[in-house]
Amino acid sequence: MMHQKNFAAEASQGDPDAYLRLEGVSKTYGDFEAVRSLDLAIGKGELVALLGPSGCGKTTTLRMIAGLVPTSGGRITVGETDLTAVPPHGRDMGLVFQSYALFPHMTVARNVAFGLEMRSIPRGEIDRRVKEALAMVQLDKLAERRPRELSGGQQQRVALARALVVKPSILLLDEPLSNLDAKLRDEMRTQIRDIQQQVGITTVFVTHDQVEALSMCDRIVVMRNGRVEQIGTPVDVYERPATPFVASFVGRTIRLSGTANGDGAIDIGGDVIRSAAGLAPGPAEIMVRPHRIEVDWTGQAKTKDDVNRLSGVLCRITFVGDVIQYHVGIGDAEVIAEASTTGNQQLPAAGTPVTLSWRVEDTMAFGSGQ
Amino acid sequence: MSVAATFASPSSKAPSTASLAVMLLLPIALVNAVGFIIPVLNLARMSFNEALPGGGIGEALTLANWQSLVSDGFYLGLVVNSIGVSLLITLITLVLSYPIALYLHRSSGRWRTFLTVLVISPLLTSAVVRTYGWIAILSDQGPVVQTIAALGFTPPRLMFNLTGVIVGLSEILMPYMILALLAGFGRLDPRVEEAARTLGATPFRTFARVILPLTLPGIALGCLLCFVLSISSFITPKLMGGGRVFLLATEIYDQAIVTLNWPLAATLSMLVLIIFGAALGAYSRVLRAID
Repeated sequence: MMHQKNFAAEASQGDPDAYLRLEGVSKTYGDFEAVRSLDLAIGKGELVALLGPSGCGKTTTLRMIAGLVPTSGGRITVGETDLTAVPPHGRDMGLVFQSYALFPHMTVARNVAFGLEMRSIPRGEIDRRVKEALAMVQLDKLAERRPRELSGGQQQRVALARALVVKPSILLLDEPLSNLDAKLRDEMRTQIRDIQQQVGITTVFVTHDQVEALSMCDRIVVMRNGRVEQIGTPVDVYERPATPFVASFVGRTIRLSGTANGDGAIDIGGDVIRSAAGLAPGPAEIMVRPHRIEVDWTGQAKTKDDVNRLSGVLCRITFVGDVIQYHVGIGDAEVIAEASTTGNQQLPAAGTPVTLSWRVEDTMAFGSGQ
Repeated sequence: MSVAATFASPSSKAPSTASLAVMLLLPIALVNAVGFIIPVLNLARMSFNEALPGGGIGEALTLANWQSLVSDGFYLGLVVNSIGVSLLITLITLVLSYPIALYLHRSSGRWRTFLTVLVISPLLTSAVVRTYGWIAILSDQGPVVQTIAALGFTPPRLMFNLTGVIVGLSEILMPYMILALLAGFGRLDPRVEEAARTLGATPFRTFARVILPLTLPGIALGCLLCFVLSISSFITPKLMGGGRVFLLATEIYDQAIVTLNWPLAATLSMLVLIIFGAALGAYSRVLRAID
């Protein structure tokens, strides 16, 4: 279930419309470079995910934006204001922590009121805005509870209300869904996206979960070892990954190695695979999404110009309910192709020779240099 | 015994929670009964006995000891003085220990281990030795007074008076206060402080609105501990007070050892016990108010 994407807000490097801008931002701890010269421009109202495995620098980047971690180099600006040296309390940003970090000694209402009290807003207005914020996250009935009396999902919503009630310029979300169970996570995903759209707030979302990034965000910044691997819309990142790492981290892929012959074809154990990427001659790797592969064991698959074909032997079939996974041996490698299940399937036995086929445009090819 | 039977019978399952609790608590209950409750009851009874000249204890029951406590201005002053001095020492210890405990709480790894050992190490030395150390530092010939004199100021008397007692006891009690504070800092999550900062709280307001309230349980525990230890300590006041500082603990010592008036010493001891009870009551009330 995909949300409406705000493609209009797509801001590229150096875009004058960019609202939050990171220029050459880096962070080093001794010899360790947590973030290396990161450039990022985020448009007003955009929801951007920082996606990557743990240790890729995404949380450090978020904490530098919030001012909780000083930068080792570079500039962070919001609008026309340079915030690089501004302490966290002067940055006007709302941060939702992975652990929620609610004040355990205050009621829900006092938690939400905290940021407003720090801004010396009159009592009457505080009460009104706290009520509004709690209504927005459907927690108005729990205003007088303590955080420890709330479930994880409720605490999460209090944290969101507390961050948003001060109308910050930027909303920062640090793995906000990772402590919730699967069902609640789906619900909160929709709710966070809806609230973000409703408020129209520029948001940076840190996650290691590609499903969250793909389904919620306008653009995704894929990070690895402190560097940006790719910045793009979910469709870009999924369909046109810039590096093998992006291809394998975002969505699932099968991976085969072969040799590029220099004219756009890659030789894999005698079969020739074509791709749109113009690779220099040498070792190469191809990747394909398992569900884009068709498995044929009848020997009647049609040969077409825009389809790649690879023959192998069926090793095993795994029934996963929604899908069937065909484990196919190709030379020394084993790959998985996936097909939706239908009511009455005639399944081949292990050891059957099969032909895998997929469209040339679904072939992601990378040279050894990448 | 049923305890033995519980273990002997192979068919029976694990002992019930109740009998297990009794078994586990029995040793400490016995030690406490013999070593604490019986002597205290003995003291309580002795406080109603008549003191005879030459250290004797009369059999007859009397209220004379308690009456002299209430009617004699000296003892009333002693109580007020002891409580006041102990509260002051507790406050000084708290103010000096809090930043150290907060720093320790935030440090990590080997540095934290090193600092913790540093904090605990004074406890490995006897209070007597440390008291003599302070006497050497603060006496008229000591480095502090000499330095002040060399700078051309009239040096204050720092030793053999109340100042000396307060300085010495505060330092001696600091490790206890730091450990108690650390034990009570469990709720202090660095993320919560960061949340306050991102919501617009300056470092000072973060401290006042978040850090301080969350560390109140530790503060209450540390204050209770230091107050009790301070009001019952007598070696340091005895040595550093130079016989000019009169506190309940030193008076009990004098009555029991010098004057040999055991019934009066017992009465004063019971009074200290009552003060302990009041302190404990105040502590639990504070804890309830915090939560």
